[in-house]
Amino acid sequence: MITGNLKTTYRADEQVLNNRWKRGFVLGALAGLVAIPLFGNNYIVLIACQMGIMLIAVTGVNVVIGYTGLMSLGHAAFVAIGAYATVIFHNAAGGVIPDSLLTLVAIPFAVAVSALAGIIVGLPSLRVKGLYLAVATLSANFIVIFLIEERVFAPWTGGMVGINTPTANLLGWELGSRRELFWLIAVLAVLALLAAQNLFRTRVGRAFIAIRDRDYSAEILGISLYRYKLMSFAISAAYCGLAGALFAYFYARILPEQFDLHLSLMLVAAIIVGGMGRTMGAVYGVIVIVMVPEVIKVVFGAFAGGGAELAMIRAPIQEIAFGALIVGFLLFEPFGINQIIDRALRALNRWPFARG
Amino acid sequence: MGQILQFTINGLMSGAIYALIAVGLVSVFKATRVVNFAHGYLIMFGAYFYFTFAVLVPQLPFAPDWLQSWRPEWMLAMREGLPMFSPMAAVLDWLANLPRILLGLAGALVCNALLGMLIERTLMRPLMGQSVFAMIMLTVGLISILSGAAQLIWTSDAEFVPALAPNTPIRFEMFGANIFLFGADLANMAIALLIFVGIVVMVHYTKSGVAIRATAEDQSTAYSMGISVPKVFSRAWVLASTTGAIAGAILATRNGISPALGLFGFSVLAIVLMGGLDSYLGVFIAAMAVGVLEALTQWKLGGEWAGIVPYVAVLIVILIRPHGLMGSKEIERI
Repeated sequence: MITGNLKTTYRADEQVLNNRWKRGFVLGALAGLVAIPLFGNNYIVLIACQMGIMLIAVTGVNVVIGYTGLMSLGHAAFVAIGAYATVIFHNAAGGVIPDSLLTLVAIPFAVAVSALAGIIVGLPSLRVKGLYLAVATLSANFIVIFLIEERVFAPWTGGMVGINTPTANLLGWELGSRRELFWLIAVLAVLALLAAQNLFRTRVGRAFIAIRDRDYSAEILGISLYRYKLMSFAISAAYCGLAGALFAYFYARILPEQFDLHLSLMLVAAIIVGGMGRTMGAVYGVIVIVMVPEVIKVVFGAFAGGGAELAMIRAPIQEIAFGALIVGFLLFEPFGINQIIDRALRALNRWPFARG
Repeated sequence: MGQILQFTINGLMSGAIYALIAVGLVSVFKATRVVNFAHGYLIMFGAYFYFTFAVLVPQLPFAPDWLQSWRPEWMLAMREGLPMFSPMAAVLDWLANLPRILLGLAGALVCNALLGMLIERTLMRPLMGQSVFAMIMLTVGLISILSGAAQLIWTSDAEFVPALAPNTPIRFEMFGANIFLFGADLANMAIALLIFVGIVVMVHYTKSGVAIRATAEDQSTAYSMGISVPKVFSRAWVLASTTGAIAGAILATRNGISPALGLFGFSVLAIVLMGGLDSYLGVFIAAMAVGVLEALTQWKLGGEWAGIVPYVAVLIVILIRPHGLMGSKEIERI
């Protein structure tokens, strides 16, 4: 029985954080976020930056898979497009636009290019569903990576060997160190999450959910599948493009192989682990997906102390753990970590009157 | 003209192997409605098992000598005085390797069948009756597990593996053009086609094949007609993993063994969707077409372009015919 949910005003009913435990949880998380660059060491900042970038991309994937119910296994392509668009824009417009404004223009540019690519890749989604779409997006991923590596485009993309990336510059504030860049990543990631959460309180977001639940029924209700499926792809690609732009600023050099199938699978794995179709699911999923290899690394370091033989079997074990996470969550907790935490928060809210 | 013919024939030979791999994917899909994204990694396991039983096991200290290289008296006598690259010498070389080739194939078949059964029993069956999406994502997770496990088990560099048939060069003239082929490639093509036809015939005419088709048509009806659906599932997985083992052995002899074999599965997945998921004929046509297109692309544009041919082809076909060349359209009710 649902208890502890009494609302006396519409305002209270419409709130995203509708009880004090949720509010406390989110405020605590934000405080933790601010504490990272102030008190964390370089390693923690590095991991947190990676998580932030991943989080933005996973939120995008969540829009298309979790909310619209379109299977995609190729979202790394959009991250790649975002990253390369940023670098190419910097190289092309370097002299024309003053340095202090370049980043502010390059990020929207990368997002726009990615969204456009999303519309193009989303075109098959109008005709095919489910599996066919998964393979179509997978194919798009292979093709995009191939084109980046191709010799013809090497003058712009750097080809197989990759390309050096510029430093972000916000109105003269050079974000040279990772600690400085973290502020940009964190702010954008929180904004991205807020935007995603609120998207699903609007007409567009509800249309997405209707399409996920039954696309033909949605069409009969007057939702244009054509329009909303493409919009979903465009929005999710835009998120991935933003992640790609930050990716480019974060690393000193980008290589095409960083955006191959493995990244696509990581993005999908993160929402499976975290919880599909839930905003916070992306957060938990990213934390787990990024932390597990690191934990394995630390454990191995403690046991082996840098032995070469043990270090060789570390990579395969990290890979197996990654697969086991996907398989385990699908088998035992299909709604992901979000469900576990929801259950806990609900229990706290109703304590001591009801459990679960 | 001569070159086109040569490359077309090369393409048909790789197309036959695509078809052999695709038959496993189609069979699993027909029976269980699941597309196995990790099929390429099953093939990789098949290749590694073949390598283990054909190369590593004969090198063990207690393995008999004839397993490593079989040289009876009459063979040595026949070898006397043969020139280096004569076809007869190639056949004799192959005969000397035959025991370990057979052991390798048998080992790969048995081990891969066990692996397929294990996957079906532990991972697929608990999800039976739930959404297909979960099962498909599970095979996506399997990709990482299998590729990590292969790296853990087979750390040594893969050496040369013996070809399945004598590797004599064959030259002949066709429509006034000189064609040059390798005997082993031709034999691989024959093996692949035979197995493909055999499975199609089996699915159409034998009792267990009919059970697979009935399950594909309607799972719950099949259940109530007395067909053991779980048994059908595990049969389909065994079928897929054994054909995968043979395909793996063939690929190991052609391109060597590497973790990249797993990626091969994705291009076959593209081919399967291009042909239409549940149509053996459509998939066969798609496999041959992609094989030839790849060979021609390799000839005209270079090797790296050949790699994306299946993906471009599947995108074009899906945009024009959303259910592939010959796939049946799904009827949805609200």
